[in-house]
Amino acid sequence: METMNTTKHISGQFDTELENIRNQVLTMGGLVEKQLRDALKAIEENDIDLAKEVRKKDKQVNQLDLDIDQKCIQIIAKRQPAASDLRLMVAINKSTADLERIGDTAKKIAKVAMEGEYDKKQLQLIASLDSMGRHVSDMLNEVLDAFARMDVDAALKVHKEDKKVDREYEGILREMVTYMMEDSRAIPKVLEVMWAVRSLERIGDRCQNIAEYIVYCVKGKDIRHAPSAEIDDLLK
Amino acid sequence: MIDVKTTLKEGSSAKLDLENMTPEQKALEIRNLDLYYGDKQALHNVSMNIPKNQVTAFIGPSGCGKSTLLRCLNRMNDLVDICRIEGEILLHGQNIYDRNVDVAALRSNVGMVFQRPNPFPKTIYENVVYGLRLKGVNDRRELDEAVERSLRGAALWDEVKDRLHDNAFGLSGGQQQRLVIARAIAISPEVLLLDEPTSALDPISTLTIEELINDLKEQFTVVIVTHNMQQAARVSDQTAFMYMGELIEYADTNTLFTTPAKKKTEDYITGRYG
Repeated sequence: METMNTTKHISGQFDTELENIRNQVLTMGGLVEKQLRDALKAIEENDIDLAKEVRKKDKQVNQLDLDIDQKCIQIIAKRQPAASDLRLMVAINKSTADLERIGDTAKKIAKVAMEGEYDKKQLQLIASLDSMGRHVSDMLNEVLDAFARMDVDAALKVHKEDKKVDREYEGILREMVTYMMEDSRAIPKVLEVMWAVRSLERIGDRCQNIAEYIVYCVKGKDIRHAPSAEIDDLLK
Repeated sequence: MIDVKTTLKEGSSAKLDLENMTPEQKALEIRNLDLYYGDKQALHNVSMNIPKNQVTAFIGPSGCGKSTLLRCLNRMNDLVDICRIEGEILLHGQNIYDRNVDVAALRSNVGMVFQRPNPFPKTIYENVVYGLRLKGVNDRRELDEAVERSLRGAALWDEVKDRLHDNAFGLSGGQQQRLVIARAIAISPEVLLLDEPTSALDPISTLTIEELINDLKEQFTVVIVTHNMQQAARVSDQTAFMYMGELIEYADTNTLFTTPAKKKTEDYITGRYG
C-alpha cells in the first residue's frame, strides 16, 4: 500500500467513527500548538495572565487525551480493525500520548514565564529561546498538517528537521554555560531558562515521533530507531 | 473432568519463505492450477506451497474459489461432472491428478471436514472407527485404542467416554463437529481440510474448535477455508486471499493482517468496497 486507503468502508458508521476520531486528534493538536505558542509568548512578553491561561487550559488537553484513548479502545473492541485501519488506531493512540506530553511542556514553560522579570543580558537568552520555540512550533504545525493529510513526504521533512533543532539546542547550551561562568549570581534564573530550552528540544523529538507514526500508518513500515541514512532504503 | 492446560502455545514466529520452500517443508504444492465448471473458469493459474504442520487459511468473498481450491486438494471435484482441471497438485512430489493415483487412498491421506457436522447415524464409537473398518481393521483392542486416541485428539474424549455406544446424533453441534474431526484423524491422514468448520456453531464451540486446530497442527497439516476473517487471523500461520478465482496474496498471517501488500487484500480485510 503506497498511499492511505481512502476507499469507503461497507459500514458507513465505521467511516464516521474514524472521521470523528481523526478530527478529534487534529483538534487536540491545534490546541496543543496554541498552548505552546501562548506559553512562549508569555515568556517573551512577560505576560503573567497569558501564562496562567495556558496552565488552566492544560486540563482541556488532558481531557481530549482521555476521550480519544477511550474512542480508540471502543473502535478496536467493536470493529476489530485490520491493516491500515488498525495502523491508524495505533498511530492515533501513540500520537495523542506525544501531544499530551507536548501540552505538559507548554504548561511548564508557562510556569517559567510566571517566575517574573529578566534583566537585559538574560533577555538575550530569552530571545534565543524564542527563536528555538518558533522553530519547534512550526515543526508541530507541519507534522499536524502531515497527519491531517496522511502525507508521508511532509512527515519525513519534519523528521529530518529535528536534527536542526538538536544543533540549535547545543548552540544555546554553550551560550548559557558561558553566561553562567561570567555571572554566577544569574545561575538560578539561567537554569530556569535552560530547563525550558531543554523541553523545547524534547518537543522536536516528539514531533519526530509523530512523523514516524504517520509513516507507519500509511506505509506499514516502522522507521523508529532506524539510522537516518537507512530510512530511504526502508521505505523503498 | 476438564483438562487444564498450563502451557501457552503460540503460533510459530519464524517466517517461512513461502515461495522457496525445501521439499521437506512442503505438505502440498499447487502448480498453475486452472479449473473450469463447464465453460466458466473458476480458478485462474493458482500456484502455492502449503507448508507441513502448519495451518493455512483461505479467505475471500463468496464465489472467489476458496472452497473449490480446497476441494481440489483431495479430488472432491471429481464428483462434479462438468469440472475440468489443468495444472498439478503435488503430494510427496507426485501429482494427485495422475491417472494411476488411487483416489480412496488419497482421501484417507488428505481428510476433509465440512461446514455442517455430518456424523453417521451410528454410535459415537462406530463413527470414529468407520474408516478403520473400511480398511479392514477389526481387532477390538486396536479399534478401542484408535477411538480413545482420536477422541482425545479431537478434544472430545472427556465429554463422551462414558457414552461411546450412544447414538452420535445425541451430541451437540460443536461436539458432533469434533466427532467428525475425530473420525477424520482416526485413519491418521497427513493433511486435514476444513471447509468452514465452525460456521454452523455457536461462539463457544467455535473457540473450542479453534483451540483444537492449534493442537492438531502438531500432527497434521491443516488447511482451512473460513468466512470469518478474525478466525483466519486467530488460527492460521499463513493466509491466502482469493478473489474471483485468483490467488491475490499469500503471506504469513501476521503480515497479511497488518500490512497487506495488495490493495484488494487491504480492502477485503478492512471491510471496504472492492
